[in-house]
Amino acid sequence: MGEPALRPGDADRDRYDRSKRFGWFDRDAVRDTAVLVVGAGALGNETCKDLILSGFRNISLVDMDHVVRSNRNRCLFFSDADARQRRDKARVIADKAAAFAADATITPHVERIQDLPGGFIARHDVVLGCLDNIEARLHVNAHAYRHGIPYIDGGTRGLVGKVQVVVPPDTSCLECGMNATHHQVKDVRYSCTGDDVTVFEPKMASDVNTTSIISAVQVQEALKLANGRRERLIENMLYYDGNRNVADVVEVPIAPACPHHDER
Amino acid sequence: MKITVKDAETGSTIDMDVDEDNTIGEVVESSATYWNKDPGAYVIRFGKQQLGGRTSIGGTTIQEGDVVELIPDPTGGR
Repeated sequence: MGEPALRPGDADRDRYDRSKRFGWFDRDAVRDTAVLVVGAGALGNETCKDLILSGFRNISLVDMDHVVRSNRNRCLFFSDADARQRRDKARVIADKAAAFAADATITPHVERIQDLPGGFIARHDVVLGCLDNIEARLHVNAHAYRHGIPYIDGGTRGLVGKVQVVVPPDTSCLECGMNATHHQVKDVRYSCTGDDVTVFEPKMASDVNTTSIISAVQVQEALKLANGRRERLIENMLYYDGNRNVADVVEVPIAPACPHHDER
Repeated sequence: MKITVKDAETGSTIDMDVDEDNTIGEVVESSATYWNKDPGAYVIRFGKQQLGGRTSIGGTTIQEGDVVELIPDPTGGR
């Protein structure tokens, strides 16, 4: 017996026909890649949508926060009812993503990434950072780097955004590109109680367009990793400016005094 | 040596005298303070490189008269 006979319209019955036409797209590899998404806010919403549509089916989603109405200028999965009920962001996305792909598993973890067991991050093949604070970024960066897990970190600030791709042990990490201003922001945020925001933080402008671009780049990089196309990864950071709609790829050299690289 | 720091958000520039021992972190802090920048993380970009705070001027290819850029580091996402 050879292959089944071709039937008219077969190409349009295959959900991933258009993905397979890239040639390099490996449906099984993408489906089986264990993805950790840290943060279920604006970037987390868009990232989960893109992951599901791209064929990823094994996703862990970490966020300790609940939905508020002001999320709704940029968060696809959240509704006014979710905000009224103060539903957990991670649970809302996990529930509603099923409408996009019934065979997908999004496992929500309603807590801070820092509070999950030490080996949690290491159980994944790739980490997508969709965070809003440096403390959590440093935690994910340190654990992912130590365990050799690629980390794709996204960030936005108004109409600008960035994606940094960290592939241990070959590339620089997030800490390599940081300086005292990062640590000052981190310290302010956690200086009063040590466990949550207790000081006034101005709300930051945020829109769905910049968010969509940054999260799409993150998922594009995850697809490259899942399909064994590491030579095509961003080296090391893509910086996007929505004011002028321009993007640059910027090298982040390994910092000689970075603690993660000293360990090598 | 004298370099120029450019505020990427406003286009303003300031000349700065630096030694080889000065770090990129010191350049960030001095210029962000000078321009009274909003609280947040900032980085220095030189050409197609983002330089880490612990890196010394002598450890880079920055030379007399070069222009480096102070840019906000986007750390939001919610």
